[in-house]
Amino acid sequence: MKRNLITLITAAVLAVIFTLLLFTFQVRESEVAVVTTFGKVAGTCQPGLHLRWPWPIQQVYKFDERIQNFEDKFSESLTADSITLITSVYVGWRISDAPSFLNSFKGGSVSTAQSQLESLLRSANMTVVSKHQLSDFVNADPKLLGFDEIQHEIEQMVEDELQTNSYGIHIEFLGLKRIELPESVTQAVFDRMATERNILISKANNEGQADAIKIRANADRQANETLANAQAQAKRIEGEGEAEGARTLPILQQNPDLAVFLLRIDALKSALNQKATLILDQHTPPFDLFQGLPTNSPSH
Amino acid sequence: MSDEHEHNHPAHAHDHGHHEPMTPDDAGSQALAEALRSSFAIVKFVMAALVVVFLVSGVFQVGPQEKGVVLRFGRTVGTGQQALLGPGLHWSFPYPIDEVVKIPYKEVQSVESTAGWFYMTPAQWTAYDMNGELPRGPGQLNPAVDGYAITADRNIIHTRARIYYQINDPISAVFHFSDGANPALSLAGVSNIVQNALNNALLYTAAHFGVDAVLTSDPYGFQDAVLQRVTQLADNEGLGITIQQCDVKSIPPRQLQGIFEQVAAARQNQTKFLYGAHAYENQVTNSANAQASSIINGAKSAGVRYVQNLQADAKAFSDLLPNYLINPGLFEQERLVQTMGQVMTNAVFKAYLPTSAGGEPTELRLQLNREPPGPNTGAAGL
Repeated sequence: MKRNLITLITAAVLAVIFTLLLFTFQVRESEVAVVTTFGKVAGTCQPGLHLRWPWPIQQVYKFDERIQNFEDKFSESLTADSITLITSVYVGWRISDAPSFLNSFKGGSVSTAQSQLESLLRSANMTVVSKHQLSDFVNADPKLLGFDEIQHEIEQMVEDELQTNSYGIHIEFLGLKRIELPESVTQAVFDRMATERNILISKANNEGQADAIKIRANADRQANETLANAQAQAKRIEGEGEAEGARTLPILQQNPDLAVFLLRIDALKSALNQKATLILDQHTPPFDLFQGLPTNSPSH
Repeated sequence: MSDEHEHNHPAHAHDHGHHEPMTPDDAGSQALAEALRSSFAIVKFVMAALVVVFLVSGVFQVGPQEKGVVLRFGRTVGTGQQALLGPGLHWSFPYPIDEVVKIPYKEVQSVESTAGWFYMTPAQWTAYDMNGELPRGPGQLNPAVDGYAITADRNIIHTRARIYYQINDPISAVFHFSDGANPALSLAGVSNIVQNALNNALLYTAAHFGVDAVLTSDPYGFQDAVLQRVTQLADNEGLGITIQQCDVKSIPPRQLQGIFEQVAAARQNQTKFLYGAHAYENQVTNSANAQASSIINGAKSAGVRYVQNLQADAKAFSDLLPNYLINPGLFEQERLVQTMGQVMTNAVFKAYLPTSAGGEPTELRLQLNREPPGPNTGAAGL
């Protein structure tokens, strides 16, 4: 009897496991499951353990709900100012409505969805690019740069299409990945760049010399100005000195005769200070003393 | 089982006509029972072993460069950082209760964008990273393989960048971003999006920088702007990362490398010219300033001297005035003679020439030599 009991328990456990496998399913975090009953959507399930009727009554489709990174291939389009641009974008998209997604794409195929998304992106790309000029894509003035607007317009256009057709897809973000020119145009750009570089070279050469001359001339002018100023200042100082010296004049005015006499004496001293040759006659003191003496000069 | 049944049966069935004794412990059946008992023991042992194996199979190891996450019936066990299991041994219920997901994980992740670079083979990349050697290229750029960025002044440049970032909440990153076709849980999804954000940042930043700013005058400004843009994109796209560093390297197209170098050389020359001019400027202004201050100082000291002289004269005048007033004539004579004496002493050559008595002019011949180098040689002869 005991042995029978164990057999029974084993069988029961196996039956329970089998039933559980048949009647339950798990949904993993980041996934969403769509349950269909006889092919019709019966509901969606969030992560966790769920009950189901076994096939063929119910079927469970699981979808990755995470944001998927998708990059489209290049699309070539003409800007408003007739320049051919080759652009490519990346999008972060997500299955936002799993039942709609399942209905739109056979078996909920992600690759089918991505090729649908790609064609939407391509047409949106071309439409938006054709509305903008090249200066909206590249511009030194951040206010005139239409980069973010362009991205936003493409995103909006694709999102509208997705909503209208109930694809069950939502675009989380979209950005430009490449903006390029056709291969043949790159050669022309290189030629233009080379010309610009040549202009820069000659400009650098000429400007260098011109600036150097300017700086030197400026330096000379400044030096001359400094010297002239210094001389003017020296004159002024001299003038001030004289003005101060003039204050001694009243003292000298007490007796102009003496003053003049002293000045003359001083002048005499400094005039005949060194290496002088003196020729004197008898009118000059102290040689006037000779005047009374007999001379050997012929006299009348 | 059926044998056992058969052996038990005759014990109750007399009408069957068998007359064997009711001894269940005859040698054969006893051996059989023994065998069954032992085989049942084996089954029990195996079952117990299976239970143990079942439980032990829940042990798993997390490697040094990864993190583990346990999903119970599909849902994560724990939240945020608590849900992340570090390197070491861990236990979970075996499948189908628990599922263990191992995520390759590094504290600091890094991603590189070469969407703005022309095509190079891995060997060429190595050569470039080692010694900056760029492969020769065709005259044009093929958009299918060669990447580049267009600057605000519509020039073509090549630029590449690498950023280093930390993932703030790895669990959320793993469960929010998918690595495309690959259903495995990993951080690759987030790193793909970070890479595209970086691609976009390079393109966007180049679109409002001039070619010279990117390449020569402001490469660090460009790098900062790229970092700023990629940070902003990461925030807007909810990537949950903290960017720590961004390295950007930009070059002119290889097709124009030579001429770009010539521009750099010309600019260096220009700078050299300017340095020369500034050196001259410094020297000239310094010497002018020195000269000017010497002029001014000279004037100042001359002025002081002049005033002092005058004051000294005035003092002498005041001192002499009383004496003079006593007898002006005598004073003058005395002074004059005294001065003449001094002057005569100083004079090298003296001649006395009396006036002729008749009033006739006296002829005097003076022959002046050029001053000889020797000292004290009077320059006069009569």
